[in-house]
Amino acid sequence: MTFKLTWLPKVLKDARQKVALVDGWEDRGRGDVGPIFGVICHHTSGPVTGNMPSLATLIKGRPDLRGPLAQLGLGRDGTWYVIAAGRCNHAGKGIWQGVATGNTNFIGIEAENTGLANDPWPDVQVDAYQRGVAAILTHIGRGADFCAGHREYALPSGRKPDPSFEMTLFRQSVAAILSGTAAPPELIPAVEAPVGNASGRPTLRRGATGELVKTIQKKLGVEVIGTFGSKTEAAVRQFQRDHQMVADGIVGPKTWAALDTA
Amino acid sequence: MFGSDVLDVAVGLIFVYLLVSVLCSAIREGLEAWLKTRAAYLEHGIRELLHANDGNRSDAKGLVEQIYKHPLINGLFSGNYETARGKRPRLFSKGGDLPSYIPSKNFAMALMDLAARGPVDCAAAGPATPVISLDSIRSNVKNIPSPDVQRVLLTALDSAQGSLDRAQQNIEAWYDSGMDRVSGWYKRSTQWIIFMIGLIVAVGMNVNTLVIVDYLYVNDAARAAIVARAEKASANPTLPNQSFEQTKKELNELQLPIGWEGSNGSTNGPRWGKSSGTVWVTAVFGWLLTAFAASMGAPFWFDLLNKVMVIRSTVKPHEKSPEESSEDRQKKTVEGTGGTSPSITVQTTAPGAGTTTTPSIAGTPEDENLDGCDVSVEDVTSDEQLPAAEGGVQS
Repeated sequence: MTFKLTWLPKVLKDARQKVALVDGWEDRGRGDVGPIFGVICHHTSGPVTGNMPSLATLIKGRPDLRGPLAQLGLGRDGTWYVIAAGRCNHAGKGIWQGVATGNTNFIGIEAENTGLANDPWPDVQVDAYQRGVAAILTHIGRGADFCAGHREYALPSGRKPDPSFEMTLFRQSVAAILSGTAAPPELIPAVEAPVGNASGRPTLRRGATGELVKTIQKKLGVEVIGTFGSKTEAAVRQFQRDHQMVADGIVGPKTWAALDTA
Repeated sequence: MFGSDVLDVAVGLIFVYLLVSVLCSAIREGLEAWLKTRAAYLEHGIRELLHANDGNRSDAKGLVEQIYKHPLINGLFSGNYETARGKRPRLFSKGGDLPSYIPSKNFAMALMDLAARGPVDCAAAGPATPVISLDSIRSNVKNIPSPDVQRVLLTALDSAQGSLDRAQQNIEAWYDSGMDRVSGWYKRSTQWIIFMIGLIVAVGMNVNTLVIVDYLYVNDAARAAIVARAEKASANPTLPNQSFEQTKKELNELQLPIGWEGSNGSTNGPRWGKSSGTVWVTAVFGWLLTAFAASMGAPFWFDLLNKVMVIRSTVKPHEKSPEESSEDRQKKTVEGTGGTSPSITVQTTAPGAGTTTTPSIAGTPEDENLDGCDVSVEDVTSDEQLPAAEGGVQS
C-alpha cells in the first residue's frame, strides 16, 4: 500500500534536480499524510563527513522516536533522497499559517548540515534546497509563505534551532524561482567540450560501464571491474572533496579534467 | 467547494459557540445559585401583579407580605419575607431566601384563602373558620386590603359561572400572565449577564471568532476533526446541560488556536495584519462576536447545529464528487478510506497508529507532537551506502 506523496520524485526531477529513491520509500510513513499545505525546512545536525550521513537515522528513527523523520533528505551535493511517501515525525508541536498539525500537513525536508560554524552550506545544496521547495510549492499550489523553517514553526518558540540559514532570504529566493525570475538550474554537461577532432568524454555516473569507467577506477585506485558501482562513486566523491569540487560522485567535464591532472 | 468547506467551517464555529454557551450557562447557573436574582424578579413581579408598586399603596404592600407569609407559599422557602424591598431588581440583585418559583396553584389558593378567611395571623384556624366557597370569598372580599385585587377576584368569581374550580383557574391564569413578564425580565437580564460572562470567557480563554474561522478555513485536518466531534455532539441531547468541567475539557481537546499560550495575541492569528494595533482591534472584535454568540444561549446553538448537520448530510460533497483532488489522492481516497472525506486523519483516531502498512490510520495527538531534528546520528550512512541518484545531468 503506497502513500499519497508518490509525486515527489517526479516533481523534483522535473525541476531538474538530482533525485535518489530510498528503497521502500512509497510504503514508508507513520500512516498517511493529510492535505499538504507546505514544507518545513530542517537541518539534520548530523556528522560533518559524507554526503548524507544521517540518511539511515532519518529512515529508521532512533530508539525513542520511530522513523521516518522526514519525507526528503537533501545531501551536501544537492541530491534529494526520497525517504517516505507517508507521514513523518518531523514537525512536532507548533503552528505555521494557522496550521498546527505539521506532521500531517507539511512535507519535512532534512538537509544534511551540522548546523554549526564548522559546516558552511555548499552553494549547490542551497540552490537545490530552494529549487526543490519551489517545485513542491508549485505542485501543491501554494506561495513561498507556506515554506517554514522548523524554528519558525516550533512552539514554544525557541524550541528548535534549525535550519541555521536565514528563512526570510530563503523565501525570497524561493519566491524568485516561483515567479520565474531566477536563472534556470545549472546542469552538468552530458559530454566534455570536444578537443580538436576528438569528441569529448561522456559524463559518467553510477551504473555506467566500459573502458572509461576502468580508466577512472585505475586513477582512483579502486578495484578495476569496469562497472561504476557504489564503491567507485564513493571514491569519486572523496576525490572531488579532496579537490574542492562538488562531491556528487558524477564524473563530468570538471572531474575529468581534475582526474587528468591527478 | 462551497458546500463542503464553508459549511464545515460553520459547523465547527457553531460547535465552538455551543461549547462556549454551555460554559457560560454553567457559570450563570452558579452565579444564580448564589445571587438568586430570579427570586427578586419574582417578588417584584408579584408586587406588580398586586399593584403594590404604585406610590404609597401600603394596603397592597401588606397584601404581598400576607401572600408570602401564607403557609402555602411560606413553605416554599426558608427564612422570612422582609418588606423593605421597593425598586425594580437590577442585574445582580440578591433574592435572599425567597423562592425562585411559586406554582400558580399555590398562589391562587393562597389568595382565595386570604380573601375568604383573612390574614393568617389574625384568624386562627379552627372548625369555625368559614369554608372557601364562591360565596364566602365574595362576602369576605374586603379581607383583601387592595381594591384593585378585590376587583380582580370579583371578576374571577363572576366569570366562573358558579364553579370554584373555574374561579381558581381564572386566578391562576391571571397569575400566569404576570409570571410571563417575570420570565421576560429574567430572560433579558440573563442575556445581559451571559453576554458579560461570555466576554470574560472569550477574553480569558482567548476564544476569538475571527481566528477560529480563519484557522478552520485553512486547516483541512482540524476542520474535519471538529466536524467529526460536532457530529458526535449533535447526537447527544444532554449536551446543553453539560457541566462546566466537562465542557472546558472538551473545548481544550479541540486543539483550536484558543488560549493565551502565544501571550502576544498575534501568535494565534498570524494572518491578521502586522501592526499590533490591527491585531488588537480584530481581537476585540472577535471576542465581542464570541460573547454575542454566547448570549444566544446553548439551546439555540444546539438547535442550529442539528439543523446545519441535516443540511450538511444532504450536501456532503467529498463522498460523491472528488473532482478537485489530484489523481493520486483520489485513488487513495477510494482505496484507503472507503470514500469518506480524505482529510479525516488526525486526532480522532485511536492511539497505536503508525505501523507502516496501515495508511488509513494516521496520527495520534501524541504522534503529532513528535519531531526528530535533534536526533543524534548513531547509524552513520557512508557514501557507499547511499542509493543511486538520477537527474542533474543534461540529456
